Amino acid sequence: MSLRQLLLRLSGYLGASGPPHRQWWCARSLDSISSVGSWRGRSSRTPAHWNQVVSEAEKIVGYPASFMSLRCLLSDELSNIAMQVRKLVGTQHPLLSTARGLVHDSRHNLQLRGLVVLLISKAAGPSTGNSPCQNYDMVSGIYSCQRSLAEITELIHTALLVHRGIVNLSELQSSDGPLKDMQFGNKIAILSGDFLLANACNGLALLQNTKVSELLASALMDLVQGVYRENSASAKALLQRQEDHCRFQDNQGYIEHSITDDIGVSTWKEQTFLSHCALLAKSCQAAMELAKHDAEVQDMAFQYGKHMAMSHKINSDLQPFIKDKASDSKTFNLNSAPVVLHQEFLGRDVWIKQIREAQEKGRLNYTKLRETIKAGKGVTSAIDLCRYHGNKALEALESFPPSEARSALENIVFAVTRFS
Amino acid sequence: MQANQRSIALIAEMIHTASLVHDDVIDDASSRRGKHTVNKIWGEKKAVLAGDLILSAASIVLARIGNTAVTSILTQVIEDLVRGEFLQLGSKENENERFAHYLEKTFKKTASLIANSCKAVSVLSCPDPVVHEIAYQYGKNIGIAFQLIDDVLDFTSCSDQMGKPTSADLKLGLATGPVLFACQQFPEMNAMIMRRFSLPGDVDRARQYVLQSDGVQQTTYLAQQYCHEAVREIRKLRPSTERDALIQLSESVLTRDK
Repeated sequence: MSLRQLLLRLSGYLGASGPPHRQWWCARSLDSISSVGSWRGRSSRTPAHWNQVVSEAEKIVGYPASFMSLRCLLSDELSNIAMQVRKLVGTQHPLLSTARGLVHDSRHNLQLRGLVVLLISKAAGPSTGNSPCQNYDMVSGIYSCQRSLAEITELIHTALLVHRGIVNLSELQSSDGPLKDMQFGNKIAILSGDFLLANACNGLALLQNTKVSELLASALMDLVQGVYRENSASAKALLQRQEDHCRFQDNQGYIEHSITDDIGVSTWKEQTFLSHCALLAKSCQAAMELAKHDAEVQDMAFQYGKHMAMSHKINSDLQPFIKDKASDSKTFNLNSAPVVLHQEFLGRDVWIKQIREAQEKGRLNYTKLRETIKAGKGVTSAIDLCRYHGNKALEALESFPPSEARSALENIVFAVTRFS
Repeated sequence: MQANQRSIALIAEMIHTASLVHDDVIDDASSRRGKHTVNKIWGEKKAVLAGDLILSAASIVLARIGNTAVTSILTQVIEDLVRGEFLQLGSKENENERFAHYLEKTFKKTASLIANSCKAVSVLSCPDPVVHEIAYQYGKNIGIAFQLIDDVLDFTSCSDQMGKPTSADLKLGLATGPVLFACQQFPEMNAMIMRRFSLPGDVDRARQYVLQSDGVQQTTYLAQQYCHEAVREIRKLRPSTERDALIQLSESVLTRDK
């Protein structure tokens, strides 16, 4: 079966339907407190502009970035996975929405990380030194090893996206459905994620460059640690919600303290770097290493990847606070940028008090809390922070020679820092 | 021994541990090596991430060795482990196919790691491909023998000794060596194998059939054959204390009771 047929069939199985729309890659990787199915609600702003930026970029790199010839996808294992995921239709396992999101996105060419890696490869061009890459073939200004790297980056991202959807069986409630569905979903999620990781490792080995292998392996480790810390916050939150009605009488603010981390902005930045920026930053650097660029160029590529990813994440965090339709995203992540900044300004005690005041019958009234936050300085300073990182990304780009590819990378930053 | 070779041993253990952590979530296991599993203590989400972390750490150590051949050899293991799990998801109808399927799964899930680790260390110290092949074959045969005995112990030992519950394979719907051999004597087991022992009473009945048959003996005999093959290979290397140790190791694979 051809890849296209497989994808079409897969999307049919998963019941993916409705008009195509761009998804923020960040939105589908964000696992806010309400995890299942919420990625649709997070579809973002002015699609037209973003679409334009991305499709221009795709033309520049030679072909749509979606599901770039990932050989592994044509394997038996994938058909196996597809069949197994199909069995999850009708259950509430998060893997189903992850899979839907992936298939949907792939049809509409949104694998942003891979695209950025390709663009930066092209923007940097061949190394000016002794061309040691004479034997590499180049298509559309990008070496085949760099294209391979872009795929590997996407594989790693997707693998963790899938693994993020694992469910803790002991925390299940009756509304989540039968236990065995969740167990089965977990099983398939683990195997699919492992399968993707194995293919990523394989791809890296084929590049025959141990520096690049080490970079990407460390990026994977960063990502895992980042996801782990994200989980620790939300897992506690879920657990507390369950016990809410029992502990509501507790006036020591036990609930409030658990559902929001006591982290300052600098800790938040460290965590966000790990979970959302490290992979792209290190991949960009690795792309430079593959073309044998020097340390300075590698660092600039790293900086671009890091700052662009950071501003992208902040932009995504801001969506619940800047969209007009409040019904779109009922809940938001209490450890997201605007909220963390809001807390930083007011101090922990005032923040805890605000959360308590936003509780009704043991449940958090997100609409009320959102208004409280919007009334503070969290949102505006998050916008500033987003722009700060956007500017740092643009600065890093200045060291690359002007080109279509560089402009595309700039446009991505502009699109991500626009808030009107 | 070089520092790099020691790293290979480290990497092999880490890859193995990562796969065990994931396998225990997949199998919803409660105990492993006589202790509670990671998933039971900290939940499934953390267990999966822990496995990923260990794998990434192993990959970093592997990359730092700086030898692309060695990297390729051990990366193959990671792929084989995943494929082995997938093989386990499916079943074969045909009896003959089943055995081949079982051996292939055994290689991928268990023997590949040992075979390729042995090969990797030999690559680091010696340029002769004949030696690499000997190391690989020793590891492969030992690995398969080890798993066959593991499958036997699932029937013959009791849970305290093993550190994990017995009849575990049957409960997971897996038909291992002793079962496949027993089925040759008791064809009525076919139906149970096909439905992966899912009906109430299947597990106990299958266990009884196995114990009544010569399934255990046949599997043990097969393991012995693999061990002999491993020894035959390793004897091609010159005599040394290490070679003796490896030969002794193959004997202990056969005689272990947990």
